[in-house]
Amino acid sequence: MGGACSRKRDHRDDEDDFHLGVSRRYCKSGSSKWLTTSFTRPVLDNQPGRGKGPSLMDLCIRKICEDIDKYNTFSMLPRDISQQIINELVYSGCLTDVSFEGFRDCALQDLYLGEYPGVNDCWMDVISSQGSSLLSLDLSGSDVTDNGLIFLKDCTSLQALNFNYCDHISDHGLGHISGLSSLTNLSFRRNSAITAHGMSAFANLINLIKLDLEKCPEIHGGLVHLQGLTKLESLNIKWCNCIDDADMKPLSGLTNLKCLQVSCSKVTDFGITYLKGLHKLSLLNLEGCPVTAACLDSLSALDALLYLNLSRCHHLTDEGCEKFSRFGNLKVLNLGFTDITDACLVHLKGLTNLESLNLDSCRIGDEGLVNLTGLQHLKCLELSETEVGSNGLRHLSGLINLESINLSFTVVTDSGLRKLSGLSSLKSLNLDARQITDTGLAALTSLTGLTHLDLFGARITDSGTHYLRSFKNLRSLEICGGGLTDAGIKNIKDLSSLTLLNLSQNCNLTDKALELISGLTGLISLNVSNSRITNSGLRHLKTLKNLKSLTLESCKVTANEIRKLQLTDLPNLVSFRPE
Amino acid sequence: MRKEETVKLISAEGFEFVIHKDAAMVSQTIRNMLTSPGSFAETEHGEVTFPEISTTILEKICKYFYWNLQYASGKQTEFHIEPELVLELMMAANYLHT
Repeated sequence: MGGACSRKRDHRDDEDDFHLGVSRRYCKSGSSKWLTTSFTRPVLDNQPGRGKGPSLMDLCIRKICEDIDKYNTFSMLPRDISQQIINELVYSGCLTDVSFEGFRDCALQDLYLGEYPGVNDCWMDVISSQGSSLLSLDLSGSDVTDNGLIFLKDCTSLQALNFNYCDHISDHGLGHISGLSSLTNLSFRRNSAITAHGMSAFANLINLIKLDLEKCPEIHGGLVHLQGLTKLESLNIKWCNCIDDADMKPLSGLTNLKCLQVSCSKVTDFGITYLKGLHKLSLLNLEGCPVTAACLDSLSALDALLYLNLSRCHHLTDEGCEKFSRFGNLKVLNLGFTDITDACLVHLKGLTNLESLNLDSCRIGDEGLVNLTGLQHLKCLELSETEVGSNGLRHLSGLINLESINLSFTVVTDSGLRKLSGLSSLKSLNLDARQITDTGLAALTSLTGLTHLDLFGARITDSGTHYLRSFKNLRSLEICGGGLTDAGIKNIKDLSSLTLLNLSQNCNLTDKALELISGLTGLISLNVSNSRITNSGLRHLKTLKNLKSLTLESCKVTANEIRKLQLTDLPNLVSFRPE
Repeated sequence: MRKEETVKLISAEGFEFVIHKDAAMVSQTIRNMLTSPGSFAETEHGEVTFPEISTTILEKICKYFYWNLQYASGKQTEFHIEPELVLELMMAANYLHT
């Protein structure tokens, strides 16, 4: 027997994703990002696709996890079964150092013990016993030390190793993994003990495709050891503020590099000249580096470049920015928080392949936007905290592929919003600005495809909520301008796709508001802070079984009552305030 | 039970379990055998032999098939598994893709 084994070894990695189209910035707080990613676990009883009860396999695995103490070994099982058992034990948090012993010699292929509590050197012997079967190992956040890494020398087939946030691993430990020449993926994020000396171990890892040394502050001078790693496609040295121009030199021969992240380093225009020959480079992240427009001379040689991030490069001004016209292939350009003005936008006219343009907090205004009218592929446009006003919006009305626009903290007024009414592809719209009112919202009712609408600071009143009825696909909505009462919530209660709802700062909302939204069972995050909600209103939330985050600061609500509700009715609630 | 609505599952020791086709097809493996045109002898005779599944385990599996049907129709009871059967049952479940 045996059956097909299904393996899933793709590490989640949001760093190199190109976020085209709808950005993730619809959430006010970055922290609510995880609400829709991690922490979700398919309930065994509701397997998608099967549409029936739990599979017999799942029932057996569950049974084993319940009685895990009764098993001394799983080594007689086919590996794909023991793999499923350990995955479930890790997932359910039931694995201990004792039960892990049962997996000795199981020929497991993947061990994802990242962030698992209690993992230390004592676990390494069982890990080692998987021998050449082991392909992928994640020990991030563990207490494994340099000595623990000695055990890995038998795992000669290892392809992926993750030691992010392992504070007990230093140069010495790197020596122990230098023989693992099958490695393709290696990650040591936030390690302050790795130095150039230890990095000499990397020179043997000739099959390395992806190396991640984000937040390693002592690696200056160490990149010389990567010179022979010609298969390297992705290198992340973000937030290594020791990195300077000299460190770029050894990268000049890594011609297979596709993705290079050097944000927040000391690299200047001179350092960038070493990158000229990287003809496969498609993503370059220079966020927060002290470069100027002069670096564009070197970068224009990179004909595969699709994604260029120059945000927070404070030395970037209009001077020399005519060179942007050479970047006709770019799909994503981030110039947010730089010193450019409308004068620079003239040179973006020909970048007709752009799908995403970020001009957050740049000194650009209505005049500049005329240069964007030909960017017909644009899906995502970030204009937050610019000087753009209503007059500028007419230049956007022909960009019919736009899916996301951020106009927060601009001077756009109600009268300008009419210009957006024909953008039928729009999914995400941020109008977090005090001068926006009900009248502006009325002009947008044709945008029925909207999934994210941010009216955080806008002065929306109960009568304005009437227009929200047009946005039946809304998944996130924020109205926190203070003008809503319970009467307005009646127009929100039927937006059944909502997963995120922020109604905070509307200090007239009462328990009745909670009663009205009790039918929004898709809600994952709810915020009604600074309102008249009381403990007795909490009972209306019992139906919101998917709720993971609940914020009711400055209400007449106690942490204890929320905790009770969590215990009895809201099993998915992981974060709540007051706490 | 009309014969064309049933299928005969035969254990390693030769015990025969006659069950509804609907129930048997909870197993993806059996479903494939019974529905792929012409390629399996099982399709014609409505019989499947499992030389590697013992009688005890096959009986448990048949119970599971019916339990699953009930579960799907809304009667959500617990399916009891004897600890001593778990490992063998698991291997069979893996093979039967159920």
